[in-house]
Amino acid sequence: MANESASAVAGGTVADLEARGIAKRFGSVVAIERVDLDVRRGEFVAIMGPSGCGKTTLLRIIAGLERADAGTLLLRGEDIGDVPVHRRSTRLIWQDYSLFPFLNVRKNIEFGLTLRRHDKKAVRTKVEAVAELVHLDHLLSRRIGQLSGGEKQRVAIARALVTEPEILLLDEPLSSLDAHLRIKVQSELTVLQRELGISFIYVTHNQSEAFAMADRVVVMNKGVVEQTGRPAEIYNRPETHFVAEFVGANNIFEGRVSDTAAGTVVVDCSHGTVQIAGHGNRIDRGAAIELVVQADKLRRRLDGEDGLNTIRAVLKGREFTGSQVIYYLETAQGVEVKMVLQEPFTEGEGTEINSELELCWAPEDTVILGHRDARQP
Amino acid sequence: MTDSSVIPPSNRSPLKLTFLAPPVGYYAIFFIAPLAFLVVLGFWIVRDYQIVAEFSVGNYIDIFSQFFSRSRFGWALVQSIYVAVTTSVFAVIFCYFLAMGIVFCVPERYQRLFLVLAILPFWSSYILRLFAWQLILAQKGVLNYVLGGLGLDDPLIITNTQIGTRIGLIHYLAPILIIILYITLINVNRNLIEAARELGATRLQAFWRVIVPLSRLGLTFAFGFGVIVSFGDVLSGMLVGGGIGQSWLGSYPLYSNMIMADYNSYTNLPRTAALATVMVLIMVVMLVVAYRMADRARQRLA
Repeated sequence: MANESASAVAGGTVADLEARGIAKRFGSVVAIERVDLDVRRGEFVAIMGPSGCGKTTLLRIIAGLERADAGTLLLRGEDIGDVPVHRRSTRLIWQDYSLFPFLNVRKNIEFGLTLRRHDKKAVRTKVEAVAELVHLDHLLSRRIGQLSGGEKQRVAIARALVTEPEILLLDEPLSSLDAHLRIKVQSELTVLQRELGISFIYVTHNQSEAFAMADRVVVMNKGVVEQTGRPAEIYNRPETHFVAEFVGANNIFEGRVSDTAAGTVVVDCSHGTVQIAGHGNRIDRGAAIELVVQADKLRRRLDGEDGLNTIRAVLKGREFTGSQVIYYLETAQGVEVKMVLQEPFTEGEGTEINSELELCWAPEDTVILGHRDARQP
Repeated sequence: MTDSSVIPPSNRSPLKLTFLAPPVGYYAIFFIAPLAFLVVLGFWIVRDYQIVAEFSVGNYIDIFSQFFSRSRFGWALVQSIYVAVTTSVFAVIFCYFLAMGIVFCVPERYQRLFLVLAILPFWSSYILRLFAWQLILAQKGVLNYVLGGLGLDDPLIITNTQIGTRIGLIHYLAPILIIILYITLINVNRNLIEAARELGATRLQAFWRVIVPLSRLGLTFAFGFGVIVSFGDVLSGMLVGGGIGQSWLGSYPLYSNMIMADYNSYTNLPRTAALATVMVLIMVVMLVVAYRMADRARQRLA
């Protein structure tokens, strides 16, 4: 697949970071139940999950700001579990940037270089080189209070990069930027990462950020990793119920397998039977499973179309988002159905609220989720 | 002039005037009137043991003509400033570390208790506390008794020196400075400390390069407050410092003690008022300097 070759280019084969069985609790609250994470050198890994899933805690453990209760942490093959925070060669970009307000831009950037014996001239050269890299060279004497959000962000990145970290850790760095700027910074970050060739571990709750930038996405929930894979894999082939709900706009149907003949799995759902094509794994007849159909794979069935899965549902509401329209429907059995279209229906097609529509999707666009509770503990 | 010319038309609400009256009255009666009386009195003279309301700068000529000679007012002033500044420095350092202990080492739910314990002395009488210090620090006092028991033969001479004055003052200042510095430190953004550590700073470097700069405003404020209060204090210098306390500058009393002595021994009240006016002027200068310093500290954080 095209994706595979792309990731082979992006991530080398040398392991940069290996986390094994990392666990962390705060009092009685389990922040991380058990997490394994591998980052290859030069790879851009996004850790994605809802707030409270343990993603920031994991980042803080890697940075050395928290100690894991269990597990090992190897940085380029070296166990860094006992290395105190100020001796680690990882650098964190903070969500709020955490710039020092009493120092100007130059002093902020050089902070990490001036903590040990240093040559003032060399520091100056390095600071100016990094400032040029992130286009800050004209702002070096500015006060932090005089900077815009995007500029602060670049100072934070420069302050980290100037210390030549082995891995850059980013904790939701774009969340305090406005939507317009976010897209711009997003592409800048990707370019920067490619140029530097160092690994980025990027924590976010925003899937479009993760998918746009990362070579690999790790989806976390409740302290465990739900799924790891390339963005397209995560998007098109969610493996667990959580991923299917969290990523994209998916319809999830429950059903029971009634037939598995000839490479096609037939499933009885509450609204009717569904055919699934191209499913590789063996699956037992009679098994209770969940199916996922992406909302943008659904469309209205035209007369005379055959060989498609169909579903009848009543239109309950619609939402125009600019580039697309989301339709919310409900089957007679009370199952909610979402459909995303690039263009809205034209008027007068029997698409008023509460009218019944017949929708369809191709059998190969159906994904079977892992059996419930079949996930590795 | 009518009322309307004092207050802009948009603010001519009767409610505003009603609530403006108490503070204005308060300042007028308890601040402006006594101060004005003090300043005016300093320009009057005494004739036949009677105060005569007759304008004269004679008192000031008398004070400044013998400033560093016979009366040694000047030396007392230097002593006062020296003691006030050093007292404030020690008090701020002591209270800063105490507040740091509360903010960074005490669990959050006990912090308030610790703060109350630190402030508690404030509710006992200042004079009583100074007498207690006399008992503790005297040549044959508690401290020397204990030290003697530990084998230290030469007693420490603390009372009747400016060191004693400072101890009394620091005890007086501590509760207020602890509150100021506690508030300062509790507002230090912990993320910035972590950010510094993450960039490679040791704990000590994080303290000097992040916590101290972020405390600058509070430290300035506490220092200025300490200097002004110490400069104006009479009691500690009198009761623990012994009136003419020894310091390395010499055995000069504090300027405030000198005003007290002048008040007690002379029947020239206008001259005492003139001495006090000089002190008030110096305090105003201190206040302006402290304000400027605080302003600069604030701007650095903006």
